[in-house]
Amino acid sequence: MLSVKNLCASIGEKQILRGINLEVRAGEVHAIMGPNGSGKSTLASVLAGNEKFTVTDGSVEFMGRNLLELSIEDRARMGLFLGFQYPVEIPGVTMANFMKMAVNEHRKFRGEEPLAAGEFLRMMREKSAVVELDSKLTNRAVNEGFSGGEKKKNEIFQMAMLEPKLAVLDETDSGLDIDALRIVATGVTKLHTAENATVVITHYQRLLDYIVPDYVHVLYKGRIIYTGDKTLALKLEKEGYDWLINDYKE
Amino acid sequence: MGLLEYLREQGINPQSEGGVLSLTSGEQVEVVINPASLNVSVAEQQRRKMLIVHTSADTSNMVFDVSPCSSLQIIDVYLGGCFADVTMRQQAGSVCDVISVVTSGAIADYTVDLNGKQASNALRSVFLSRGEERCKVGVRVNHFYSDCVSNSLVKGVAGEQSTGEFNGMVYVAQDAQRTDARQNSRNIELGREAKIITKPQLEIYADDVKCSHGATVGQLDGEAVLYMRQRGLSETQARRLQIEGFVKDIVYSSSEFGEVLAEELNAILEQIQ
Repeated sequence: MLSVKNLCASIGEKQILRGINLEVRAGEVHAIMGPNGSGKSTLASVLAGNEKFTVTDGSVEFMGRNLLELSIEDRARMGLFLGFQYPVEIPGVTMANFMKMAVNEHRKFRGEEPLAAGEFLRMMREKSAVVELDSKLTNRAVNEGFSGGEKKKNEIFQMAMLEPKLAVLDETDSGLDIDALRIVATGVTKLHTAENATVVITHYQRLLDYIVPDYVHVLYKGRIIYTGDKTLALKLEKEGYDWLINDYKE
Repeated sequence: MGLLEYLREQGINPQSEGGVLSLTSGEQVEVVINPASLNVSVAEQQRRKMLIVHTSADTSNMVFDVSPCSSLQIIDVYLGGCFADVTMRQQAGSVCDVISVVTSGAIADYTVDLNGKQASNALRSVFLSRGEERCKVGVRVNHFYSDCVSNSLVKGVAGEQSTGEFNGMVYVAQDAQRTDARQNSRNIELGREAKIITKPQLEIYADDVKCSHGATVGQLDGEAVLYMRQRGLSETQARRLQIEGFVKDIVYSSSEFGEVLAEELNAILEQIQ
């Protein structure tokens, strides 16, 4: 589904990704961990197509297409979803209106007719239940005045609405209390099928109790320096990154 | 459906001088189209609601005398490059509510004279300029008596090479104690070549007053555009949605005409490159 080869990217003069290799197949869950500043969020942004970053080398194939030559919106319509670490507030734009446009753009891309109003409302109700999102929030402006927990739930709600092939969730667990974490994480699990894949970027093992990864990667200084199974996250939680980083330095 | 089409549907010919609209709520709205001059007196205890539509590039001189304890709502819409002078003279205890939509390079200068105690005025205006247009909204509120309230909010959007201008003044006379006056100008420049000029001013001679003014000029939020594109909206859609969100509270504060006014603005936004 996603094949990243030797991906290098920079912002301005600063090189951040220095040769990422990553293969994600349908049905898999990957966790990406690593110390602050190692390039995790940059990787998510580059995959989504954020124009702040320049890809300097390497290739990314997604669903058989060269991802790097597609616009941000076409990547999204093809089924790439990025859960933002800091979801943006958009005053004056209601969730309902925004989601209606987003869903219909996805449908148009697939050559389908726009959803009828009734069908869309039913879908909104059904999907907001996945993350126990108060349906009143969907009448409010996008993320405006939402609490930290609501913003993250709202990301997963949008993911449920758009049914992506590949979801990259950038620190979706940061800033969540224990209950919100459980709701968000089980929401993600409910959405997981054999046909889609999830990449979660996280600092904490806690999230991976719910979203059980097939692979755990450690990103350091712009490279994936180690890959293991779910037990790696437990070891990292206990021992930190030093043993890996020291290894890497030698 | 645009405003003129809406009027036509309601049986008012946009080429005529206007007529009376009966809303489903049972309320009546007097419609005036392209008035070169207009003198309206609202009698004591009376309530009036007027929709004024300017479609031509003529001048327009409008005076509203608002008697004690009466109320007037004006929805003042500029779809042509009209030069308008609008004066509201408000007596004690009167209430005036103005919603104004200024497009097509029109210039609308509002003067509010609060000529009696406890009069209140709320003015919400949005201007939208494109091409080489120059739109301007002027608001001067004169607090001549004590205990009056005024609140002006003017939102401006300038696109392409156009210029949008706001000139605001709140004057508080020496005897106008306990005045509560607010003035706010918020603006968005859509491109590098678009220009916003905003001048919020206060002139206060009384000492027991609450007055505030503010002005902001900014661009569309790039992060929000990125966020919306990540959800599958095109850049144009994302930008337009954000502008709509910015002006929405002004046009929808007229509940009956909110939708047609929003439609008028959308039609213009669609032309902006």
